[in-house]
Amino acid sequence: MVEEKRILVVGGGISGISAAVDAAEVGYDVTLIEKNPHLGGRVAQLNKYFPKLCPPNCGLEINFRRIKNNPRIKIYTLAEVEKISGSEGDFDVTVKLNPRYVNENCTACRACVEVCPIERPNEFNFGMDKTKAVYLPQDFAFPLRYVIDDKLCKKAECAKCVEACTYNAIDLNMKVQSLSLKVGSIVWATGWKPYDAAKIDNLGFGKYQNVITNMMLERLAAQNGPTNGKILRPSDGREVSRVAFVQCAGSRDENHLPYCSYVCCLASIKQASYIREQYPDAQVIIFYIDIRTPGRYEKVYLKAQKDEKIKFIKGKVAKIEEDPATKDLTVTAEDTLSAQKIHEKFDLVVLATGMAPTTREWKIPANVSYDVDGFITSSPEIGGMYAVGCALKPLDVYSSIQSSTAAALKAIQSLVRR
Amino acid sequence: MADATVIKPDLDFVKGIIASGGESLKKCYQCATCSVVCNVTPDNKPFPRKEMVWAQWGLKEKFIGNPDVWLCHQCNDCTVYCPRGAKPGEVLGAIRKQSIQQYSAPGFMTRLVNNKKFVPILFLFPAVLFAIVLSAAGTFHIPGGEIVFSKFFSVHLIDPIFAAAFFFGIGVGILGITKFWRDMCQACRNDSIPSGVTTGDLKGSIIETIKEILSHNKFKDCVVSRDRYLAHFLVFYSFIALGITTALAVFYLYILKIESPYSLITPLKLIGNIGAIALFVGINLMVINRFKNAGKVGIGSYFDWLLIFIIYVIVVSGILSELTRLADIAGLAYPIYFIHLVFVFSLFLYLPYSKLAHLFYRTTAICYAKYSKRQ
Amino acid sequence: MEKKIGVYICTDCEIGSSLDIDKLTKVAIKQKASVVKTHPSLCQKEGVEFIKRDMAQEGVNAVIIAACSSRVNYDVFNLGIPLVERVNLREGVVWTHTPNDEDTQMMAEDYIRMGILKMQKMEAPEPYKVENLSKNVLVVGGGLAGITAANEAAKAGYDVFLIEKNDSLGGWMTKIYKQAPTKPPYTDMEEPFINNLIKEIQQNPKIKIYTSSLIEKIEGSPGIYDVTVKQNGNLETFRAGAIVEAAGTVPYDATKIIHLGFGKYPNVVTNYMMEDMTLKGTIVRPSDGKPVKSVAFIQCAGQRDENHLPYCSATCCVESLKQAKYIRLQDPDSKAYIFYRDMRTPGHYEYFYKSMQNDAGVFLTKGDVIGITEDENKNLAIEVENTLLGEKIRVNADLVVLATGMVPVTALGEEILPPGVKPGDEFIPYVMIETDILNLVYRQGGEVPVLVNGYPDSNFICFPYETRRTGIYAAGSVRAPMDISSTIIDATGAALKAIQCIELTARGEALHPRVGDISYVDIFMQKCTQCKRCTEECPFGAINEDEKANPLYNPTRCRRCAICMGACPERIMSFKNYSVDMIGNMVKNIEVPEEEEEKPRAIVFVCENDAYPALDMAGLHRLSYNPFIRVVPLRCIGSMNLVWVADALSKGIDGILLLGCQYGEDYQCHMATGSHLAKIRLSKVAETLDRLKLESGRVQMTQVSISEYHKIPQILDEFMEKLKGFGPNPYKGF
Repeated sequence: MVEEKRILVVGGGISGISAAVDAAEVGYDVTLIEKNPHLGGRVAQLNKYFPKLCPPNCGLEINFRRIKNNPRIKIYTLAEVEKISGSEGDFDVTVKLNPRYVNENCTACRACVEVCPIERPNEFNFGMDKTKAVYLPQDFAFPLRYVIDDKLCKKAECAKCVEACTYNAIDLNMKVQSLSLKVGSIVWATGWKPYDAAKIDNLGFGKYQNVITNMMLERLAAQNGPTNGKILRPSDGREVSRVAFVQCAGSRDENHLPYCSYVCCLASIKQASYIREQYPDAQVIIFYIDIRTPGRYEKVYLKAQKDEKIKFIKGKVAKIEEDPATKDLTVTAEDTLSAQKIHEKFDLVVLATGMAPTTREWKIPANVSYDVDGFITSSPEIGGMYAVGCALKPLDVYSSIQSSTAAALKAIQSLVRR
Repeated sequence: MADATVIKPDLDFVKGIIASGGESLKKCYQCATCSVVCNVTPDNKPFPRKEMVWAQWGLKEKFIGNPDVWLCHQCNDCTVYCPRGAKPGEVLGAIRKQSIQQYSAPGFMTRLVNNKKFVPILFLFPAVLFAIVLSAAGTFHIPGGEIVFSKFFSVHLIDPIFAAAFFFGIGVGILGITKFWRDMCQACRNDSIPSGVTTGDLKGSIIETIKEILSHNKFKDCVVSRDRYLAHFLVFYSFIALGITTALAVFYLYILKIESPYSLITPLKLIGNIGAIALFVGINLMVINRFKNAGKVGIGSYFDWLLIFIIYVIVVSGILSELTRLADIAGLAYPIYFIHLVFVFSLFLYLPYSKLAHLFYRTTAICYAKYSKRQ
Repeated sequence: MEKKIGVYICTDCEIGSSLDIDKLTKVAIKQKASVVKTHPSLCQKEGVEFIKRDMAQEGVNAVIIAACSSRVNYDVFNLGIPLVERVNLREGVVWTHTPNDEDTQMMAEDYIRMGILKMQKMEAPEPYKVENLSKNVLVVGGGLAGITAANEAAKAGYDVFLIEKNDSLGGWMTKIYKQAPTKPPYTDMEEPFINNLIKEIQQNPKIKIYTSSLIEKIEGSPGIYDVTVKQNGNLETFRAGAIVEAAGTVPYDATKIIHLGFGKYPNVVTNYMMEDMTLKGTIVRPSDGKPVKSVAFIQCAGQRDENHLPYCSATCCVESLKQAKYIRLQDPDSKAYIFYRDMRTPGHYEYFYKSMQNDAGVFLTKGDVIGITEDENKNLAIEVENTLLGEKIRVNADLVVLATGMVPVTALGEEILPPGVKPGDEFIPYVMIETDILNLVYRQGGEVPVLVNGYPDSNFICFPYETRRTGIYAAGSVRAPMDISSTIIDATGAALKAIQCIELTARGEALHPRVGDISYVDIFMQKCTQCKRCTEECPFGAINEDEKANPLYNPTRCRRCAICMGACPERIMSFKNYSVDMIGNMVKNIEVPEEEEEKPRAIVFVCENDAYPALDMAGLHRLSYNPFIRVVPLRCIGSMNLVWVADALSKGIDGILLLGCQYGEDYQCHMATGSHLAKIRLSKVAETLDRLKLESGRVQMTQVSISEYHKIPQILDEFMEKLKGFGPNPYKGF
């Protein structure tokens, strides 16, 4: 397979989608590749966006429609960049296409799921529930097509799904394929991962069940999450009445992520608001170092401050202890304005875990430069390649998309220059 | 505007702390992780977060009569968890140095002890002093025959010289802690300094303090440097053992009128040797621990290492002088013994100016904390 | 060309096993479809071939696919003809209703009928072609954002007009001494690079620069903006295709912050003045010209304050840290105090914060500055409470620098509300501040409506370049407070959007959110009563008025939301493939069973952007919902025309439910005001209902978001339950 010269966008999260759609709507051909079986990336995991508390699927839906209506955009899911050569205007890219084992005949009828005997932890929900080995990545999955987890599927040994599928949509013999692309420019929208909270050993994540991350809370609060949108304690499924938010869990911390992850303050305030909406009697305390709500986001902060059941305490939580009997958590912090060390009991603690660029661990197979934290630096020596969104720096959705739109133009310039 | 405190940052004070091991001071952004992970701090106005901001702001006066800097045992849990690399443990160590300088008169002595440049002077002084005394006594050479150290340096010379140094050190220390105590009482009335209601039970506080020190319980609260408990325990009790040995020596010599060397099975020798071994083990553990935690908390300042060095030389030279004496190697035994004495003298003389001054000030601070119900 | 409608009913995905397909076929034939066929699996290759064969052999040129939702298999059913309609039997009927049930069958039949009726009323739209379209970009403002936008658009091959009101380019960036770090290791101040950028654009022949110039007026619409510029008294007119508004900001008036003493004490200056002073040489006390030994920076001066600027200007913390460096470099013994409320150094700026902290002469604390006093020597004392030092403190300083915020120039004018709207009204369609920046010749006012705090920012997280004026994109600090790096990104993005607008317009396609839609409004002017509803209600100001109040439609401003179509009482606004008549016909042809049958009917008009996908998701989850409803998707719920309500009720339909997006302050309607307008229209329908002697509760609107699919069954059930309470519509059988 060889395709003509176009723009390649790597990463099908909101940044990649936006860059692809924006370039295509100007009139350029775009290939969008995504390593997961569906588009949407991190935002698809979010319950709501700040500041409006609106659902991310709303914007994704519009974007998916733009993709559907635009023949200039080609999408490959389960695709990874393997090799890049050439330079601006003339890149040769080899893309590895991992097998989905489900072809385009799939109608999402889910007959396969009913017969599949194997379960797997659902990483879309951070392992808080399970799917079958053949699964729909998520409700709003785009493309709406099932996929098989080849690490667990027993393939020919079982093949119950093959029998169950009346559309011949399942092909357990699918192999890895390779795709060669000739592209003029590349947009890196490789995104971010939540920082591994277990590394912050004094905060008890991974040790205490009721200490969760902010991303996990998004899933717990989402209708299509493991609890159908009910925010319940992982230890006993009980409703929550006292929730602590621990800001800068890993961020602004030399031992973890030295930079500020930008979104966590707003994310926690947002989450506090929707917890309060779900549980009108719930108490929330947000422990912070500095509340960072730039621009008009300040309004969100102001609104939360006016809620008497949301309390802000300036002081970082550095100790969390669990009562083994009740699984309640005691959080210790110093209220720095009154200089009192306080010990407060909560039934759920949410760590405002920061974002680490995907390129912190995984490196692009090309001559790309990074800063010490693994963010792709936007220095001009990377001709024809442009980083966007959280591959560039920690950004919120809004600014990520601005960077995508900007990169769409830079990518077009790379084609125009040739 | 009457109730606002006028703040005049002393830039030199800041620079002083930075220069004496607190170079990370300014990195602190006041998240208070340190106060939280610290297991020895009280909940009310905990340290070291507030000390960090005061020090950053050069608020020298906040450290006058501040018991908290001494309640810190420098477990360095704060330093390990500090997200900013501000090393509150080290900074407080540097502040304590300033505190020693302030309370152990004369102030320049601490500066002298604490300055690498003056190392030669530090040890040359006793060496030269001894050389002069021994020359005057006519024993400044390696004596023949069975090795008896008093042939070289008569106990009748040692005792007055060392007693003078020892009591000088103790005296300066007592003066220092008296002033410190007064300042703490003064500061107590200022609300920004951790305060409390005094129990009025000084005696009880002292007993509690002694119990706490003897038990070494506070060391067990440390997380990162838990190993320090054993090291300090050994060093602490070996000092006591060696103190007892010295007292016994005085008893033997002046009451029982028995001259050294003593048989190895006398209680004096037994206690002394066990003490020496414990000290050797303890001081080695201290060094090992420091290297072990170097990545997390840093290796410590010159101030720390000076004391370790002195103790190390004392214990090694003490053991070696005994061994070479027993092995009858006069050419080694006497010079080593000389070195040993130089360092023991230094330890006594510099007691209130070196890190060992914590013996005075930490004890006093702990006692005051108990006295003032600071918890 | 004669329309030949082919109806293809798929029997897969439980459709065949849940419905009586023969009866469906008969319904389609009765509805005068030319070809009606069933297929076991339309979405498979053979299925598509099956349809294509009919197109080739039987001349079918209008295809109705009665199968799954239009949200899936979009690529499969791309048959290369404009008239393809999907009837949602899968998610909308069989996955959500009892199989082989009479009610389910009736529902499917109605949908087939409605689909055919829709197709019969539908014509293939032709793209609107603009004559003399210009592909040039107009950039308003010659600061960093404007220069960047111009430069980037030119690099992509577009000609640019750059208008700057001052006599030189560069804006605020030329007035700073150093800039905050923009690159790793993010610890060092940088030389401002604005001068290089200015040189670059001055040398670019594709960029025509107008300094000392103002825009007299802008007529027209995207692709055909006729811009009149006034330079040194001379007027010049040119045509541009799209506009980047990068007009920048001004500092907030610090004299308003009374307790901080600006204007009263000579040694209290603003951050802007501090830059100026440093740029000119030495930082001195304005009172006596003596070099400054200590500076106190007061953050959030007049910001994050409901009495002044309620927002955070996003850059001041970093700027003050930078200025602290200025003074520390000038005098190593100097002291710089920074009193902040929250230190806001997001992202990589954390590194800069740390490096500045590490300077022994910089003293930082959180705190609230209560006041400043001056002594006889003009020295200042700053009193601060709630500090980290554990007490209320007073600090003396030679100079106080107020970190004053930025105010967008778009806020510097009189706020004009639309006619008939009062401040505090529940519904304010837009806020226009007349500022003489763009001077658009638009019926709704001369500028871009502002979102909040005078910023013409986007309301949409996912669509940050969305403004209420098609083809006009705000960029840089005029749209939101932002730093240098963000400004460059934002301006580059705005240039892309301008170019995108031009290219889409040239192809006759709509812009976001209905990208690619080539339909546009036809106005049947003979019937117009000059009621002005369309011109007032269009969220994008697409419709001007002539002096007689006749609507003057600008197709390239139009987003095809059809809100005008919903607004028009005379039903004269229509699209080739979407009209009042079309939907009305569908509504009127829903079979209404006799009263005795106890099968009520309700029409559910749904927003096709959010509510419709939510219904689909309910289907995917096999949530079953009431079978008596008939779903009619609309482009925007704001395109709902009240005549449909009348049509439906007079036909005996028992109730009408609107499922639209959230409206109000945090509205989610992609067409901005669509859902709110629908709500308002509904409130007016009460009268009509009274006239008909019908309960007004029969017509309702519910806000539902795309994620609330789980609420769908309940919403519908509750509505049907309510209708039951009213009893059957007495007009049944008329």
